[in-house]
Amino acid sequence: MRLRRYVLLRILQLVPVTLVVIVLNFLLIHLAPGDISIILAGETPDPAYLQHVREMYGLDRPFLEQLWRYLVQVGSGDLGMSFRSRQPVFDEIIDRIPATLLLVGTAMGLSVVVGTWIGARIARRPGSAVDSLVSAGAVMLFSVPVFWFGLMLILLFSVQVPILPAMGMSSLDGPREGIGRVLDVAHHLVLPVLSLMTVSVGQYIRIARTSVAEVMGESYITTVRAIGFPDRRIVQHYALRNALLPVVTVLGLQLGLILTGAVLTETVFSWPGLGRLIYEAILARDTPVIMGAFIAMSVTVAIASLATDLVYAALDPRVTL
Amino acid sequence: MKRIGVLMAATLVTVAATAGAQQAPATLVVPQTGEPRTLSPNFASDPHAFGPGSNVYSHLVAMDWGIVKGTAAYGDLAKSWETSADTKIITFKLHENAKFHDGKPVTAHDVKFTYDTIIRKKYPSLAVLKSVKEIRVPDDHTLVIELVEPEVGFVPMLAQISNWTAKIYPKHLWEGQDGFETGPHVNAPIGSGPFKFVRWERGQPVELEANADYFRPRTAVDRLVYRAVPDVNVARAEFDAGRLQFLPYDYAPPLAEVAALQRDPRVKVVFTPSHFSRDMQLNLARPPLDNPLVRQAIAHSIDRDAMNRLAFAGLWTPSAYASIESQKDWINRDAKFPAFDRARAEQLLDQAGLPRREGGWRFAITVAPPNFVDCKSMMEVAVQQMRAVGINARLEQFDQATWFSRVSQKNFDINCYFTRYGPDPDAYREHFATGGGRNFMSYQDKELDEIALKASMISDKAERQKIYKRIQEIVVRDIPYINLMNEQKTTIIRAGWSGFNVEESGFDTSYTWFGYYSVKPPGRS
Repeated sequence: MRLRRYVLLRILQLVPVTLVVIVLNFLLIHLAPGDISIILAGETPDPAYLQHVREMYGLDRPFLEQLWRYLVQVGSGDLGMSFRSRQPVFDEIIDRIPATLLLVGTAMGLSVVVGTWIGARIARRPGSAVDSLVSAGAVMLFSVPVFWFGLMLILLFSVQVPILPAMGMSSLDGPREGIGRVLDVAHHLVLPVLSLMTVSVGQYIRIARTSVAEVMGESYITTVRAIGFPDRRIVQHYALRNALLPVVTVLGLQLGLILTGAVLTETVFSWPGLGRLIYEAILARDTPVIMGAFIAMSVTVAIASLATDLVYAALDPRVTL
Repeated sequence: MKRIGVLMAATLVTVAATAGAQQAPATLVVPQTGEPRTLSPNFASDPHAFGPGSNVYSHLVAMDWGIVKGTAAYGDLAKSWETSADTKIITFKLHENAKFHDGKPVTAHDVKFTYDTIIRKKYPSLAVLKSVKEIRVPDDHTLVIELVEPEVGFVPMLAQISNWTAKIYPKHLWEGQDGFETGPHVNAPIGSGPFKFVRWERGQPVELEANADYFRPRTAVDRLVYRAVPDVNVARAEFDAGRLQFLPYDYAPPLAEVAALQRDPRVKVVFTPSHFSRDMQLNLARPPLDNPLVRQAIAHSIDRDAMNRLAFAGLWTPSAYASIESQKDWINRDAKFPAFDRARAEQLLDQAGLPRREGGWRFAITVAPPNFVDCKSMMEVAVQQMRAVGINARLEQFDQATWFSRVSQKNFDINCYFTRYGPDPDAYREHFATGGGRNFMSYQDKELDEIALKASMISDKAERQKIYKRIQEIVVRDIPYINLMNEQKTTIIRAGWSGFNVEESGFDTSYTWFGYYSVKPPGRS
């Protein structure tokens, strides 16, 4: 009962957060120089057409009125129409979510598992040569710009040794359904996932290593050691659970970016996801799509932080909600 | 019985052999830096829809890169046209066997419907069609356009705008819609062009296939695919790996790499000139640029050869004329902008009352190029060259949208621009007449206004030539802008492919700047 109330309260908090996000972003977009109607109408348009465009999109109205109209519209569950495609923004965003979830979700899941596993392993022998090597490597991976690494992967595995595709989500003549389709998409997924992973995996290695090493110094671990349990068992059964808390925190933070954290990767690999939609919308000053994406982002961030808190409580009996 | 069996076997073998000899379909994949907003090109200017739109739809008249060899306009759906003596009435004869992709014939009614809708809805091609008083259809294959006023440049301008918009839509499928932005055919276009629409899901490539019922011979390319590749380096990697057959000029390689590419036998490097220049616009409403001496001094400070070497590895063509090489009939080779002469520039600035002060600077000025690689690299050099004569010039960078609205609001000192000289030299009015649509310099000259207007209404070529040569004299005298280079596009094509719109084998048969009608894959002719 208490849990349900807590969750409900947190969801209610979403409303003012989203409101602030909308107002701030609306203001920011309007503060950016440049006349949206000129961009929409194309270069050196006819003045009459320009006026027509302004009226059509309500751009001729004062700022506060535009903001109010937008708020009322969003309040009734309508995110409006895209300036560019004249499709409902909601559909545009929903259409792109699966591709992004697939890409970012796969990369995130693999990073957590692989990173924590490596981190926990090297934590058993802190200061050893393997530890130093892997830790240094992790810092390096974490510092590599993702678009550069993506390009290098393309040069290696798509140009020098052409075994993996570099563009899009499926082959032009690939199967359109069934297991063939799944394999085709998986084939296209390898390089973007690899390049996204390089950044986050290093982070998880560092965090898992530090926190496992810390827990390994606790007296209860010394006790189980003294009893004579093997190291591997100690880490897996006794240390990891307590060491996972910082990993969950970082995962929670990253989960909030699951929809939009891959703008650069999606651009490099021509991946048809939400990141690329946002990138193109920003270039074209497609205000409704940008706003819609921001709303989607703030909602995911809020949900992710709620989920993190819940997982925290489950992992650590000292935390109560 | 046995005999029949043998005969049948023989037939089977023959059929199989024929099938085996058939070539694999030739696919041309065109990379684009973004995906189209919609596949209805007529209602808004949508750069990533120009490609698909130009190949699915036909146009009344067309223009392609053949313009640089002098072809201002040629017929697409129009077989021929005649202009009345006063240049106000143009009568087009249309091809009789042209068909839309749903099998219905293309008639003059479709053209009238399309143009009337554009005018009624104030769509972008109104910029040209606003000259139209009335469109009449005496019979299915004759179209009469009557203009409000005599306008010699109307057909070339119509051909030029047809590159982007003013594609001919089927009346029977669009009649029920209020405009061209709603209905089932916005993203499933039915046109009458050389390629038919096959499929497009958002985020996926746009797929077209050859139209077997095209009213001209079928294209040699079987399938045309537009793929969004936002990253220039990835597109280049795909080209190097042989998975793209050509890289359009939006993906032009750095010119410093071109020498190496030219040595590669697997690659063809194509340079295409245009009827645009790359130049500097000076804002005459802002002191000290309102002083002619200052403008002359700036012109003297620019060393075009050094600029070409530094910005373009010496591969572009500098120009000091107020025109362009591709406008051979109109260029005035006696009217030139002041030549590079630093001493003279300093002298003129002293005369203008702007001596070097503390730090050696005379005055400060900002240079704001658009977000084009060529403009940016040129202006980086120009800034240094102006600094050499004591002008404290500084580069300012904006994103394209901001740059463009600042220019429209005349909020700049010096700006890198792309002045247009064709298809008809009436283009001078747009740039230099008082209140012209691209006269961002606030330039005014009474004589120029008068004679330019006069030249737009007469059809006698010799007389027009005289006027346009005079206009060039006036412009290089007053220096509202300083021409620097002839624009040039760089395309790389895989050896064996030919007939692209940017190369001579594709001129006058590409049906627009974005058309791929005459592309020939290797081994097909």
